[in-house]
Amino acid sequence: MKHPLPYILAGAAALVFSAAVAAAPQVGEPAPDFSVVDTEGNVHALSDYDGQLIILEWTNHECPFVVKHYAPGNMQMQQRRARDEHDAVWLTVISSKPGSQGHVSPEEADELTATRNAFPSAVLLDESGDMGRAYDARVTPHMYIIDTDGILRYMGGIDSNPSRDPEDIPDATQYVVVALEEMAAGEDITHTVTRPYGCTVKY
Amino acid sequence: MIRILLHLILLLPVLSWASAEHGPVERDHIEAELVADISAVVPGQSFRAGLRLLPEYGWHTYWINPGDSGLPTTLDWHLPQGLSAGEIEWPYPQALPIGHLVNYGYEGEHLLPVTIDVADSLEPGTRVTLTVDAAWLVCEEICIPGDARLALDLEVVAGAGDQASRHAELFERTGQRIPETVNWPARFNTEGNSLSVQVVPEDIGIERDWAFFAMTENLVEHAEEPVIVAENGQVLISQPLSPWMTAVPDELPFVLVDKAGNRAWQVTATAGELVSGGALAEPTTPGWALALLLALAGGVLLNLMPCVFPVLSIKAMSLVSGAGHDQRAHSLAYAGGVVVSFAVLAGVLLALRAGGEAVGWGFQLQSAWFVALLIYVLFALALSLSGLYDFGTRLMGMGQGLTEKGGAKGSFFTGVLACVVASPCTAPFMGAALGAAVFMSWPMAISVFLALGLGLALPMLVLGFSPALARRLPKPGPWMETFKQAMAFPLYLAVVWLLWVLARQTDATALALVLTGMVALAFALWLGGKRASGESLAVARHTAVGLSLIFVVATLASAARLDGGGSGLPDDAHWESYSSERLDVLRADSNTAVLVNMTADWCITCLVNERVALNTVAVREAMTEHDVVYVKGDWTRRDPAITDYLSRYDRNGVPLYVVYPRNGDAPRVLPQVLTAQIVIQALERS
Repeated sequence: MKHPLPYILAGAAALVFSAAVAAAPQVGEPAPDFSVVDTEGNVHALSDYDGQLIILEWTNHECPFVVKHYAPGNMQMQQRRARDEHDAVWLTVISSKPGSQGHVSPEEADELTATRNAFPSAVLLDESGDMGRAYDARVTPHMYIIDTDGILRYMGGIDSNPSRDPEDIPDATQYVVVALEEMAAGEDITHTVTRPYGCTVKY
Repeated sequence: MIRILLHLILLLPVLSWASAEHGPVERDHIEAELVADISAVVPGQSFRAGLRLLPEYGWHTYWINPGDSGLPTTLDWHLPQGLSAGEIEWPYPQALPIGHLVNYGYEGEHLLPVTIDVADSLEPGTRVTLTVDAAWLVCEEICIPGDARLALDLEVVAGAGDQASRHAELFERTGQRIPETVNWPARFNTEGNSLSVQVVPEDIGIERDWAFFAMTENLVEHAEEPVIVAENGQVLISQPLSPWMTAVPDELPFVLVDKAGNRAWQVTATAGELVSGGALAEPTTPGWALALLLALAGGVLLNLMPCVFPVLSIKAMSLVSGAGHDQRAHSLAYAGGVVVSFAVLAGVLLALRAGGEAVGWGFQLQSAWFVALLIYVLFALALSLSGLYDFGTRLMGMGQGLTEKGGAKGSFFTGVLACVVASPCTAPFMGAALGAAVFMSWPMAISVFLALGLGLALPMLVLGFSPALARRLPKPGPWMETFKQAMAFPLYLAVVWLLWVLARQTDATALALVLTGMVALAFALWLGGKRASGESLAVARHTAVGLSLIFVVATLASAARLDGGGSGLPDDAHWESYSSERLDVLRADSNTAVLVNMTADWCITCLVNERVALNTVAVREAMTEHDVVYVKGDWTRRDPAITDYLSRYDRNGVPLYVVYPRNGDAPRVLPQVLTAQIVIQALERS
């Protein structure tokens, strides 16, 4: 070891870097905790939903991939089915930082819900991005299912066709819908981790 | 009115979609155009067409693997009869950091070319229109999908001539970024939450400024830059897996870029354990032919090696001097001896390989007793050449000593002997070529060995079959005795080298034993060569020779017993030697975690991993800081304890890296290509 300094520096850089990259949550493990305000100023935490099924949906209303699923009503349909048929809590999360694309005021968020005829239990405004980073949410839409014991059961894309073409929605596997049905039937979830596709979250 | 306008605006995209646009078109943040590298189509001559994209400054579009987000651009061609389009020939991308993610794509003006095949039947004088539906995603921080139906009119002309279009230069420039598809041997592995790739760039050398891009989507963590190490003819790549990876593909296409040389190659790696030997090869036919040729040439060269030349030159003399003998029969028998011996060696090697042993050429030198035996054989030969004992004529040509009756049988055994004495020389000189043979299919491997043997036998064959050539050799005479004695010295040097090998394998005690054995051997040969001068003396002489020889055999046996004794650890070693008992003790201690490294001197991947990761100051400090005991198992010689350990992890080869957490949790297997970061993170979590 003739020149230890570069190695020490490389090692130190590696340490710093490794600390900066948050590990993605693991399916089958307890879901990361969060504490975020919604559009009405109420604080939502994971612990508030003990014994309830939770769906998390990262969104950005200006992202073409989000529009792909809202314009034909696919996302709204999934919200209704999750809440009505599976008694789930649907939390739509916006992690865009202030000033970046997709960041909205509470009023704008409520208006988007109304105009799009969306059906979330609440829309969370994660301006700091803490919740998004805890879940390693990368794109919009990015979906997560947490079961009644607080265990993460699904994370990944909205469906199996990574495209921006709404016409291919009927041919795609809608991962959240399928997983919820499998959970209700007491079966193992076929797809527990899938590729999330969409626009990057604007942290 | 407003309503009508609104309708018109709504209809606009539909209209523009329906009718194709010629020339550059403007879309949000990007300009798009269908272009060709020629200005006129010639029947029967394929050309290139492509989508030219010019995003605004700071905006980009995507490669076939878009990275952590994004979508690759798509082209849907509508071509007239007689024209057909191939797939997009993707230029290699840039890594574009977007926030905490990385995308693979293109900034600035770029081109996605395809090859258009043209039928012979096209009529000169007519015009053809190429139409393409292009769809892309153009992104900065935000993303805007775009599409266009683009068209290009081209005239069909009869002859050649200068048909380069004004875009030819763009095609030229883009062409340099299109990877050349090559079938270099490559493997990949996803153990330990990391993608490990091993590739052998053929013919171009590895000393390049490499960049790596996986073509498979959703496999690696694009934001973490791949770590690339090029050593010993192979390039090793490590990149963490994406947490969103769902399935390991059977094949991984990837692009290697020489950043400085602006060249790129597309390689496909197959899934599996990385190969630990010097070479990994699934040779193609030309590769095989080349290997055969090299082996043949190598075989011829072996005749000049210090351990072979003395033996063979004297054999050649005997061939010449024995003019009365049938020289052809002799040389054929000799060649047969060499080739059969090499075939036997190849068979042993392949049998071991089939048994799961990762052996390389020179494996026979891994046994101390074999090395000791070679030392005795070469030493005895050298002493004979020096004239210490008078088996002179009997041993002349060595093998003939085995069969005083002489004849073809003697020559055959000379061939066998040539192979045996050649083997210490082949280890250093032929290791690489034969290393490749180890990973070939068995018919190929055998053929390479046979070619090597044939090469070794070739000079003698030529002499035997060409009396004219044989006559040109110097006439026999007293000078032969001087020559013979001079030839002893290269042999002594070969003996010294083998003693050094033995010392590395065993220890000073074994070395002393073998050296004593050499003295005993010399004594026995000297005494045995003396003319008897009386009945009782002859008995004493035979007894002494017998006892000495028994002693020699005994030293050989001791060397064999010492085999596997292993050399001691270097003074600055930061590891302990592996034993299953020691591992059990360490695992039982809840204060320490354990890192096990199973390695071998002939495993190049292992050595690279140690140099770039395990032996770095950063990793050594992390071991100290986190109370991790580093245990190393050396499989250079087949240690059954380590073979057993490997099999517990379904392995039949090295490297294998395992971390045992201090809390007794299940051990974790690390990737086969290590970086300091991978090891340090694993140690932190131990």
